[in-house]
Amino acid sequence: MSRITLTSAVMSLALTTAASAQTEIELWHAMGGALGESVNQIAENFNASQDDVRLTPVFKGTYEETLTAGIAAFRAGEQPHIMQVFDAGAATVIGAKGATIPVQDLLSDNGVDFDIEDYISGVRYFFADSDGKMIGMPFNSSSPIMYYNVDALEAAGVTPPATWEEFQETTAPALAAAGYIPLAQSHLPWIFTENFHSRHNLPFATNDNGYGGLDTQILVNNDAIKAHFTALTEWQDAGYFEWYGTGWGDNQTPFEEGKVAIWLGSSGSFGGLAQKDLGFDFSATYLPYWEAVTSEPKQTFIGGAALFAMSGKSDAENAATARFFEYLTAPETQVLWHKETGYVPITEAAYEMAAAEGYYAEQPAAEIGIKQLSLAAGENTRGYRMGFYVQIRDVMNREYGRILTGETSVEDAFATIEEEANQLLSRFAQTQG
Amino acid sequence: MRKLKLSTVLDHAVLIAGSLFMILPLLMLLQMTTVPDTEIIRTGPSLTIGDQLDDNFRKAMFEASGFSGENTGLSMLKNSMILGIGFAFGKIVLGMMAAYAIVYFRLRFATFAFWLIFTTLLLPLEVRILPSYEVVQWLGMLNTYQGLIIPLIASATATFFFRQFFRSVPEELVEAARIDGAGPVKFFIDILVPLSQTMIAAMFIIMFVYGWNQYLWPTMITTDEDMYTLVRGIKQIVQVLEGAVVPEFGRSNVLALVAVIPPVLVVVFFQSWFVKGLTESDK
Amino acid sequence: MKRAGFTTVSLPVLLLLPQLVIIAVFFYWPTVVALQSSFYLQDPFGFGSTFVGLQNYIDLFGSREYRRIASFTVVFSLLVTFFSLAIALVLAVKADKVLRGARTYRTLLMWVYAVAPPVAGFIAVIMFNQSWGPLTEFFGFFGHDYMVGVNFNDTAFSMILASVWKQVPVNFIFFLSGLQSIPRSVREAALIDNRSASGRFWDVTFPLLAPTGFFLLIINITYSLFDTFGIVDIVVKGEPGNNPMTLVYKVYVDGFRGNDLGGSSAQSVILMVLVLALTIFQFRLIDRRIHYT
Repeated sequence: MSRITLTSAVMSLALTTAASAQTEIELWHAMGGALGESVNQIAENFNASQDDVRLTPVFKGTYEETLTAGIAAFRAGEQPHIMQVFDAGAATVIGAKGATIPVQDLLSDNGVDFDIEDYISGVRYFFADSDGKMIGMPFNSSSPIMYYNVDALEAAGVTPPATWEEFQETTAPALAAAGYIPLAQSHLPWIFTENFHSRHNLPFATNDNGYGGLDTQILVNNDAIKAHFTALTEWQDAGYFEWYGTGWGDNQTPFEEGKVAIWLGSSGSFGGLAQKDLGFDFSATYLPYWEAVTSEPKQTFIGGAALFAMSGKSDAENAATARFFEYLTAPETQVLWHKETGYVPITEAAYEMAAAEGYYAEQPAAEIGIKQLSLAAGENTRGYRMGFYVQIRDVMNREYGRILTGETSVEDAFATIEEEANQLLSRFAQTQG
Repeated sequence: MRKLKLSTVLDHAVLIAGSLFMILPLLMLLQMTTVPDTEIIRTGPSLTIGDQLDDNFRKAMFEASGFSGENTGLSMLKNSMILGIGFAFGKIVLGMMAAYAIVYFRLRFATFAFWLIFTTLLLPLEVRILPSYEVVQWLGMLNTYQGLIIPLIASATATFFFRQFFRSVPEELVEAARIDGAGPVKFFIDILVPLSQTMIAAMFIIMFVYGWNQYLWPTMITTDEDMYTLVRGIKQIVQVLEGAVVPEFGRSNVLALVAVIPPVLVVVFFQSWFVKGLTESDK
Repeated sequence: MKRAGFTTVSLPVLLLLPQLVIIAVFFYWPTVVALQSSFYLQDPFGFGSTFVGLQNYIDLFGSREYRRIASFTVVFSLLVTFFSLAIALVLAVKADKVLRGARTYRTLLMWVYAVAPPVAGFIAVIMFNQSWGPLTEFFGFFGHDYMVGVNFNDTAFSMILASVWKQVPVNFIFFLSGLQSIPRSVREAALIDNRSASGRFWDVTFPLLAPTGFFLLIINITYSLFDTFGIVDIVVKGEPGNNPMTLVYKVYVDGFRGNDLGGSSAQSVILMVLVLALTIFQFRLIDRRIHYT
């Protein structure tokens, strides 16, 4: 700590001597490819919009690599001003109090109005602490939604399924008969585990989904999700579902090639799909639910990542960071980001602006993510907070892969996930001691 | 006579099969750089030779991705060169110095130093990778060339090799030098270094290839794009291929080829030194 | 050090110093840190930590998954070692025999030495692409629906193939040089004694190559344990999932991806012990080797 204070002291000294100069701030992010270009675009626009602050975005690899790079830099006293942290890293970064400045405090300390109610309901609390204070600024917010090949569904004479029962009884057989693989998805822990619990309003962990404390236990070993995975294996055997591996792209490609009729992906995939010349029309709708589990499906969690203001910076730099956040949440910026990438706009004002521009009349599929995040909330839909969650996801991916290649049974897999996840959670609790 | 011929034919058949096994994968990469990416995502590698090589080469080497615009193939090539040459140079210089001290001087703590140095042969960097990373981070050397190169040098292979070699140098030479009144520095520079020329060359080739091909360490140490080496860049290539609108196989494969060609050329051109160095250093 | 050496003191100390400093900072310090961290559970940001004694080790040895990875690593290493030695030996024997094109063959068979493991992995990713990989199509031709990244064995096969491809050249170089150092008189005597070529190989050549083989065995095991990291990482595309992985990859996944410093350090220490055992074994083999020659 003393080292950090020293660094910041030196930095503020350096800044006072160069008072008239621009304040330079850095943003470390994990947005590769086209998404990275959109981030660069926002940075350029921000830099052009004013003269006091200059923002440099730096691509640091995958979400995991970005988090690790940021942690290492923090320990060496060389952290960036802003760091993008993904959903699975939330517990790590929010748990390390003192590593970040809560965005809510940062904004109000620097004279920017902050009202959590301005944000659309689905994004308010995922990156908040147990008291509902927003710690990280939601940035690329997405939710898993259902994309479908319009031509394929027409050929099979079906409409997109609202429930898994409908999929199983009507949609899948018709699509299979029409020569398609009915279903694929790109992220089993995110879509079929975390959001499965949210959509069906099931508790995912004790302690109020982990927000309440460190002695959390995962509640993943429940009948509803086991029934879902049992159904998945049956669909797989019947040719209704195909799994192409743990990698995201491996599962998206067959949909793009027109082999798979329905693909569950991220609302943030919209931008990429729209840019491609797919050779068929696609659209999107809500993630289906099991009628047998709930008759009142709820909203889903936001996925993607948030921006965290790192501590140990001078007041001038913090003010610069606040200024960027203000720019970022402005409706114009949000609408640009939303349109280019498919990530949802995070404020009500931005949503209204996009709607007023007639964007959704033109691209109805682009509205699905935000509508799904704005569905009714339940007591279990705020989010989840679990430490070592990167490893817990890896355990899930591993066991799900084994289920789908017939190496293990649904029953054994969930028992293993529960056991290993709880061990990881208790190990994480000890790291915070 | 005819029987003998048959067995010769068989020998050649086996060798040709082996050579094809080695070279076909690389030819496949090359073929993919000559056709448009849109064709590759439909059909994969094929036998057609297209005209996209120039275009892909230009994209790979000079066009940057990222805000900074610094992550071009050319800058990665530069970093790879610095890593390969810096590593080989550092290792040989330090190794020769230490080996000289151990072999040619009566020093009380020489045996102790010897063991301190040679224990490093026991544990490769990979088994202490995370703590090494922490140390480099504490020293503030992440994303620097020093941080990239020096921890890789912290092993005794070169010292061990030069020690063996110096011990095979006839003892009369030292005595003759001493009679001529040559001091230790003069002896080292005027006699020992020239004598070791071939060995130095062989070592340099082996170490250059070893340094150039490092992957795990650069992956951890360099997170700034302008510090990437070509081999570390492969990770980026695979990630970008995953997420891209049209995966740029042409550009990626050019980078993979550029990552391979310099060390291959060195090994092929200096084959006899390299083989000699490799097979003798490990005895 | 029996040499009639120089007696200056300051110079050799100066000469040794750089190497000793680097080793102290980048070898001994990290080794001590690894040992120390393995007894703690630490917050990655460095705010908290708890001394947990042997808990990290107990958790590892109690983990079914860790044992699975260990056994996969053993099988993987043995297969890679066996196939790269066997293929290299066959090629070396043939290359030693032919007169025409010997140099060309030698070059063609050894250049892959200079290819970095992740590039070998990258080639495997293309070869086994699910949609159009040439080798995927090859297996499809024989009725096997090859799925890298889905089927455990298929993924393992891709890793092994890439690792063998990368390792054959080193073994080839050593075997060939071993063969070429067999004296002519021995070869001629063998030619008279033993009519059949295979008989000559097993009775004369093979025993003479055995010391080289023993030495290469250790080199190859070390290679399969550590240097294949790049191949594994690229073939699984950074997503461990249900894919096979080696012990070194697990150290990386837990420590660098998951930020579990204590658990990862304990794994490092276990690997250190393993390598130490291997090295001691190697020293004893080298002793035997001197005895042979």
